[in-house]
This record gives sequence, structure tokens and C-alpha cells, in this order.
Amino acid sequence: MVIELFHITAALYLLAGLAGISAIALPGARFGRATRWLLAAGALLHGVAFARLHTLPHPPQLTDLPSAVSLAAWLAVIVSLLLLRGGRLEGLAVLVSPLAFLGVFYESFALYATVPAAAAGAGSWPHLHVILASAGLALLGVAGLAGALFLAEDRALKSKRIPALRRGLPSLEALDRVNAMTIATGFPLLTCGVIAGMLWTQGETGHLFVGGAHAVWSVIAWAIYLALVVARFAAGWRGREAAACAALGFAFLLFVVIGVGAIA
Amino acid sequence: MKILLVGMNHRTAPVEVRERFAVDDPLPWLVKLVAAPEIEEAVLISTCNRVEVIAAAPNLDAGRHRLRSFFHRDLGQGAPLVHQQSENAVLYEHVGDDAVRHLFRVSASIDSLVVGEPQILGQVKEAYRLAAEAGLCGPLLNRLFASAFASAKRVRSETQIASRPVSVARVAVDLARQIFETLEDKRALLVGAGEMSEAALVALRGAGLAGVAVANRTRERAAELAARFGATAHGLDELPQLLAASDVVLTSIGADRPLLDAPLFEAALRMRRRRPIFAIDLGVPRNIDPAVNQLDDVYLYDVDDLGGVAEANAEERRRETVRAEAIVQEEVERWGGWLSALQAVPTIQRLRARAESIRQSELDKVTAKLGLDEAQQRGVEALTRAVVNKLLHAPVSRLREQAERDDGLAYLEAAKVLFALDDPTAPGADADAGAKPGGSEPSS
Repeated sequence: MVIELFHITAALYLLAGLAGISAIALPGARFGRATRWLLAAGALLHGVAFARLHTLPHPPQLTDLPSAVSLAAWLAVIVSLLLLRGGRLEGLAVLVSPLAFLGVFYESFALYATVPAAAAGAGSWPHLHVILASAGLALLGVAGLAGALFLAEDRALKSKRIPALRRGLPSLEALDRVNAMTIATGFPLLTCGVIAGMLWTQGETGHLFVGGAHAVWSVIAWAIYLALVVARFAAGWRGREAAACAALGFAFLLFVVIGVGAIA
Repeated sequence: MKILLVGMNHRTAPVEVRERFAVDDPLPWLVKLVAAPEIEEAVLISTCNRVEVIAAAPNLDAGRHRLRSFFHRDLGQGAPLVHQQSENAVLYEHVGDDAVRHLFRVSASIDSLVVGEPQILGQVKEAYRLAAEAGLCGPLLNRLFASAFASAKRVRSETQIASRPVSVARVAVDLARQIFETLEDKRALLVGAGEMSEAALVALRGAGLAGVAVANRTRERAAELAARFGATAHGLDELPQLLAASDVVLTSIGADRPLLDAPLFEAALRMRRRRPIFAIDLGVPRNIDPAVNQLDDVYLYDVDDLGGVAEANAEERRRETVRAEAIVQEEVERWGGWLSALQAVPTIQRLRARAESIRQSELDKVTAKLGLDEAQQRGVEALTRAVVNKLLHAPVSRLREQAERDDGLAYLEAAKVLFALDDPTAPGADADAGAKPGGSEPSS
């Protein structure tokens, strides 16, 4: 039953993405409304599926990569829904929905093969680490997607390829605002997530930093975001530069979480 | 009852002809028109691009003659209905479905000078409101205009006929909205003056622009322009500071060489902490160095860029017109179905009246013969009514359905023959007088 819930959630996210594309390409507000409702329904069901999964007698660990990715996808959808309340941002939902779909699909796929409950990773520090890092990943993910959309729109405006610009797309200023807001909230959460991870490691090994691949790459990703935050909020970067950095930063973070995480 | 439409528009009559027929207040004219027996219902649409009367007339030829004479004698005060230079007729006439289609096309802005412009629907609604409130619209035009508005709504929501601007000024507003989240906290700078740049500025102000500064070679000229736009006046020597304070820059000044170059914009961007600038150069020769577009955070459009966008949008609107025409055709067919169903109403009413008359007369006979008490009478009354209703339900439903088809009239004729509705000697025929034809509308 839980797997079916994840499947329905994945389908709703996919439909929300299609509705978002229609909202950009077609006139009228109905597709914009459909995008919001489908995303909201998906998020609700995702939450229910997640709760049911983790109240099973032998649930998978929250620290398992599929669970963490799915949690980040869920939080990214919630962030998108909050942003959609503020204005014309269906274009962002178009990018968030497929990633959320992949996150849910990954978890449901992993559930078929899950070996129940390893004892490792249980406890409050690991859970806090996953929740905080996933929230940071979700917000920085939205920042990265807003950055990617900014770059595409900026290019279309500069080259005067007007057919590429549709009325439903967010304005550059709105995307820059979303970028700044999500980095400002996502980076502290990521930082707290890294600290919680270090405290977890200390509890298990007696050392704050043991130098595994995941830990090393995570600290590099954190340092990159630190540089971005300094550039954006202290040196006054904005627009195209900030968008490019957010998009590249998110790509690197995905590599660390999924690529390095899977290998580790 | 026939639907008729007679009128002129920007295609059949030039403005010097149309202005002779246009009226500010159509009501007195309509009252006079509907007072004549040839016209039962009418609406007069008078805009800068068209003067049209759509009417319901009992007789087609008489109605048509009355409408032509209304244009010639009343509205035009004897003005000729043939254009003197071209010798073409200025009036057009549409009857039945053609008239309906024309009204639907007008309401959906397919027939407008600028296809997709939004004002015409409001003008048609206002014309209808005036006539309806004065009691000059009956069931036919009420239903027709409701269908026209529904059709226009479908065209606007299902096609992109109105979603793309086709004037340089509107294109500028659209692009500004693609760059800025809102214009309400943005300031514009107008350098020089020109018809197109002023139109763009007016459109941007209409979209909510917060403030405007005007710069010109002479402060006197700048002050003159500033007074028109509620702006502040400046000389060209203040351009660096003005540029740094402006989110939208419009230029249209006579100069051999670009007045604003990349270093000037770069300095302005630094001063404004790289907040974007939307620059619209409408000068010929150009006032802004094209290299400015290479700078991050500056979006430069010249007159050709904006014109190109406007032309591309116009082409897209033309393509959308094909889809809009298909929607209008569907709605015309739906209207035709409703109108056909309306023809079934008198036959259905006569059939019901005939059945009720027979039921009542047979009931009276039985009641008198059997000497039934009041409760028994009520029971038999209910029983007979139920039997009649159940017997008539299927034929009445079928008649309504079939009446909407092309061969619907044949079914109506068959019903008249089968139930002897035209035979005054048939049982219950005396009830036909009570069945008033055309008294109600079919369910839609």
C-alpha cells in the first residue's frame, strides 16, 4: 500500500509538471491553478506515504539515501508551493516537479529491494542531520532551478528570441528574488545539517571529522556555497552571476549527495 | 422570426462616411426603430470602427427594408449608402446564421481592425445592456447575445488571439514585465521625444510605472514634456545620474552618433548595484550604442527589435484566428440547434393541450357516471395525469431532440399528422386555442 502511495505521488508530480508547461504555453489561469492543486495533492500524499512508511514495524532508515532524497524532494515541493502563492512562478514548478517525481520514484524503487532496518544510523543526530541537510538541499535546489531558469530567460531576452518567452514565465526580477531568498534560508540549514553530521560522526567514532568521501565532498560543497553566500550578500552579486553560481552549486550538491552518497 | 444584421465597418466605409452614421446615444434611435411593426427586437452597436444594427424581424424582406431605410433616413440623415469615390456599397447585410456568425465574430474581436483587441467585447456588452434595459430585446436577442458573449469568452480563453501585443508600445510593456516583477516601484527616463517613445511611455505608465524623468537638449523643451507626463525635467548633462536612477530608459532624440554608450551604462549599473535596466532605443539613427546589449543586466531593444516582435505577434494572432473561427462556427451551430428546438415548442404545447383536454373530458364523464367521492376523485385525477404524462414523455423528448437536427421539421410535421394537431374536428381540438405558440423556450 505504501509503495502504491508513492507511485500515485510520483504521478501527481508528473502531472503538475505537465500542467505547469501548459500554464506557460496556453492562455487562461486554469492550468496555473491545476499546477498548484496537483503539486499540493502530491505533497499531501507524499507526506502521508512518508509517515506510513516510517511507522511500519521495520521501516527503512531515514539516513538511507533514497529516503533522504525523497524527503528533500518533498520539502522542495512545499517550498515551491509557498513561492507559488506569491506570484507568477509556474515556470519554477515545471522544473521542480520532474525532480520531485524522480526523488519519489527513487524511493519507491528502492522500497522493492529494501532489506529491513539496519541498526546503524538510528538516533537523534543522524535524523537531525538528514532532516536539516534535506531541507538545505531542497531550498538550494529551488535556488539552483531558479538560477537555471533565469539564465535561459536572460539568454532569450538578450538574443531577442521572443517566441522562447511566454507570458507564464516568471520575470527575471522574481527569479532573482527567489534565488536570494532560498540561498539565504538554505545555506544555514545546510550548515546545521553538516554540523549535525559531524556530531553524529563524533558519537560513533569519537572524532568530528573522519575524512570519508562523503564527508570530504560535503565540506567542499558547503565551502562552495559559503563563497556564493559571501559573493551574493557581501559583494553584491546578483542577476546572471548569482543565477549561474546557484545552478552550478546545485549541480555540485546533487553530485555530492547522490553520486558520492551512492558510492559511499 | 428572422435574425437580421445591417451595418458598416472599417472595411466597407472610410471614417468620413462612418462618422455620419455613428451615434453617441443609441437609445432614442432604437426606440424609434422598434416602434415600427417590421422590427420586434433590436440592438445598435456604434463604435469608432463600426455601426451595426442586429434585429429580430417577423418578415425578412420588410425587416431588411426597414433597417436600410433606418440607416439612410434616420442615422445618416439622407447620406448616400454608396461611397462616392469608390462607388462601393457601404452597408452590408447578413441574415440568419450569417448574421449570428457576424455578431459572434465581432464580439470575439475576429472582425476588428486590430484582431484580438479587448475593447470591442465591452462595447458590444454595453450596446446590448442599453437595449435590454429599455425592453428592446426579447427572448431571441437575449439568448443570441448571451451566446455571443459565451462564444467570445471561449475564443479568449482557448486561443492566444489576444495574448500577444501587436503595437510597439504594448510590446515594450510586455518585455518590461518579463524583466521586472512589478513596475510599481520602477522609474523611467525619457530622453528626447517622439510619437513612438511617448506612446511607449504612456503604456508603461498605464502598467503602473512609479515615476518618470525627462531629459532633453534644452531644459525648456524638457519642462514642456515633463508637464505632460507629470515628470521631472532635466538637461542631457545629468544623464549619468539619471541613468543610475532609472529602471527603464526610452530614447528618441535626433543625434548623428549614439548618445549613451557602454561605459556610461556600466557606471550606472555599478551605482545601482547591478539592478537591471531595460533600454528602449527608438531613435533613428540609434541613440544607444548596440554594444550596451553585451553588458550583463542591460536589455537593449531598438525600433527594429520591437517592430519585429510586434510583427511576429501579429502573425501569431493571424494563425490563432483560424482556431477562433472554428470556435465561432461551433457556437453558431449550437445556436442553430437552439433555434430549431424553439420551433418545436408550439407543436409540443398543442400536443400537451390536446392530451390534457381529452383527459379532462373523459375524467368528467367517469366522475359523473360513477359518483365518486372527493378522495376517489383525487386518486383518479392523479392516475390519469400520470398516464398522460408517461405516454407523452417519450414523444415530447424525441421531438425536442429531433428538432435540433437538420431534418427536424419532418418530425414536427409527422407529429402534427399522427396526433391530428391540425384537424379542428379531432377530439380535444377545442383546447388548441389555449396553447399559445412561442410562449416558452426550450431547455438548453
